[in-house]
Amino acid sequence: MFDWFISLNSVTIDFDTSHQFFPRIIITLLLVLGSLILLANIRPVWRAMRSGRYQFFVRNADFFRLLVTLVLIPVYFWSMDAIGEELPNMGLGFLLASIPFVFLMSMLYCHERTRRNVTIITANAVIAPTVVWGVLYHLFLVSMP
Amino acid sequence: MEFLELLSPAFFLLAAAGAIIGIVFGAIPGMTATMAVAVCLPLTYTLGLQEGLALLLGLYVGGISGGLVPAILLNIPGTPSSITTTFDGYPMAQRGEAERALKICIVASLVGGVFSALVLFFFAPVLADFAIKFSYVEKFLMIFFALTVIASLSKNIVMGVFSGLLGVLLSLIGSYDVSDGGNGEYRLMLPFMEPYLAFGFSLLPVLIGLFGISTIIEEAEKGAKESSQEDKVNLTKGKPFRFSVFKGQVGNLLRSSSIGTFIGMLPGIGGSAASILAYTQQKNLSKQPHKMGTGEPEGLVASESANNGLTGGALIPLLSLGIPGDSTTAVLIGAFTLQGLQVGPLFIGENIDTWYSMITALMFANVVMFVVMFYAIRYIAKVVLIPKFILYPIIVMMCTVGAYAINYGIMFDVWTLFIFGVAGWIFTKIGIEVAPLVIGFILGGSAEVYFVKSLESYGEYTVLFTKSPIAMVLWGLIVLSIVVSFMIHKKSKQHSGESK
Repeated sequence: MFDWFISLNSVTIDFDTSHQFFPRIIITLLLVLGSLILLANIRPVWRAMRSGRYQFFVRNADFFRLLVTLVLIPVYFWSMDAIGEELPNMGLGFLLASIPFVFLMSMLYCHERTRRNVTIITANAVIAPTVVWGVLYHLFLVSMP
Repeated sequence: MEFLELLSPAFFLLAAAGAIIGIVFGAIPGMTATMAVAVCLPLTYTLGLQEGLALLLGLYVGGISGGLVPAILLNIPGTPSSITTTFDGYPMAQRGEAERALKICIVASLVGGVFSALVLFFFAPVLADFAIKFSYVEKFLMIFFALTVIASLSKNIVMGVFSGLLGVLLSLIGSYDVSDGGNGEYRLMLPFMEPYLAFGFSLLPVLIGLFGISTIIEEAEKGAKESSQEDKVNLTKGKPFRFSVFKGQVGNLLRSSSIGTFIGMLPGIGGSAASILAYTQQKNLSKQPHKMGTGEPEGLVASESANNGLTGGALIPLLSLGIPGDSTTAVLIGAFTLQGLQVGPLFIGENIDTWYSMITALMFANVVMFVVMFYAIRYIAKVVLIPKFILYPIIVMMCTVGAYAINYGIMFDVWTLFIFGVAGWIFTKIGIEVAPLVIGFILGGSAEVYFVKSLESYGEYTVLFTKSPIAMVLWGLIVLSIVVSFMIHKKSKQHSGESK
């Protein structure tokens, strides 16, 4: 019996599988805690969802702006890379993708598209990326696509 | 005093620039000091070590301080740590005493910042000297203790622990590094991910995504509406500012600064807890507690000296143990790595000149913050009016530059930004807490190395408990933090039950 207790305490980590040792402990703990959280919260959350007290999106969520933001950002990243591949080692991927991105995102978030605001947005879309590109890429030699 | 040779005019210029940019960031509602540091990181890539740190520390001090501007003028805390500043600041602004309120806060911020920098200067080397004696077991327990403290101060303890462990798991993605004694095998990913995730997710894109991009997505969800309270900004109609307002407030200043510094030392808790605790303490000790919340200077003094006290406090565990004290210092740890420095018990001893220059930068940034804010507050106040439609695209652009340049041009780091931006937005909706997750992510890799090495060396689990008296003390602290947190949660539940 005593030997059995002693054997529980001893541990040998096989080098070939050592990369799995710690992650397995963490995953086990996460599964245990996850189950506890689910068990403790599933009923109140379900009730709250049915009664409308809990909702994933904020009340009166702006789905249009949210959705376009979630599309615009990855498109910006993709286009930056694509342009950078075509025109490498000049940081032009960043510059040429950022100008339309800043313009479109500003237009998206602008609630009053007056002539004055659109002028500011257009100027900002050209000036801000150009200044960042000029200062960071040329002056500070920061890598850009 | 060899470090004096390292202090070039550029060093002071960058610390000042950092403080000013930080103030602007902090003054914009929704922007935080963490974001300021994250967004400006690319600027440090080509700077020297001293100059880069000067800029980042300036941003940290300025970012925390700037939060008081919208808290007073718009009743919107610019940073989470300014929440209690709104309680008395906004009523004062409504009476036309906005400039008086702002200047009280600026002076209190200076006292809190300088106090915490002094505590950092004297206390961090002592703690580091002590931590040098730690073996793998104690180091692992220290990380475990940090995670329990963070988790126990979360809104829901179980969720806090879950979030911390999730962060640890995310940090383990990639190969088990041979340089850490691992076997070099990949884990926790599918074979097609191996070219991208061989070294796991990079720290900074993860942090910038969680703190920067997720904020933008949250704002988009809310419609990115502009604050419509510009007309309420009225600076000087009422009573003017006089230093005599601090008569009788010395105790409050020192107590609140101490609370802020102490809370800053506890990993992952953040400035909002510091300012709330200091404010509550002042209310308990005030001669006129019923007046607090109606525009009393003592409330402002407590709140602002505490949240600036946090700056030096949060750097103590970072520089002496390698454990970040809050989300901003978590980003700073990435900046140190970028400069080839490893923070931990040996940091101060091995980089004494850098240490002195950091303290100098911190002190100088506090002075700049004070001078700039005190004399130019009328102009800084206008920052709160920068429209979101101009600001947010620039933030995303800067985040992208930072993520791309971190590993000298890896596009996957930019995608990491987006992945964690969306994840951060979803996490807040399903109750996963970002602070424990981030600390878990930062410390996960070290926790694995220390844990596995301890067991490999001794071959038994009990070594984690019995290795040394320090280990036993750490276990005592771990148990204490869990018990105390359960008691606090029970008490707050009772309170909310009674109030219902």
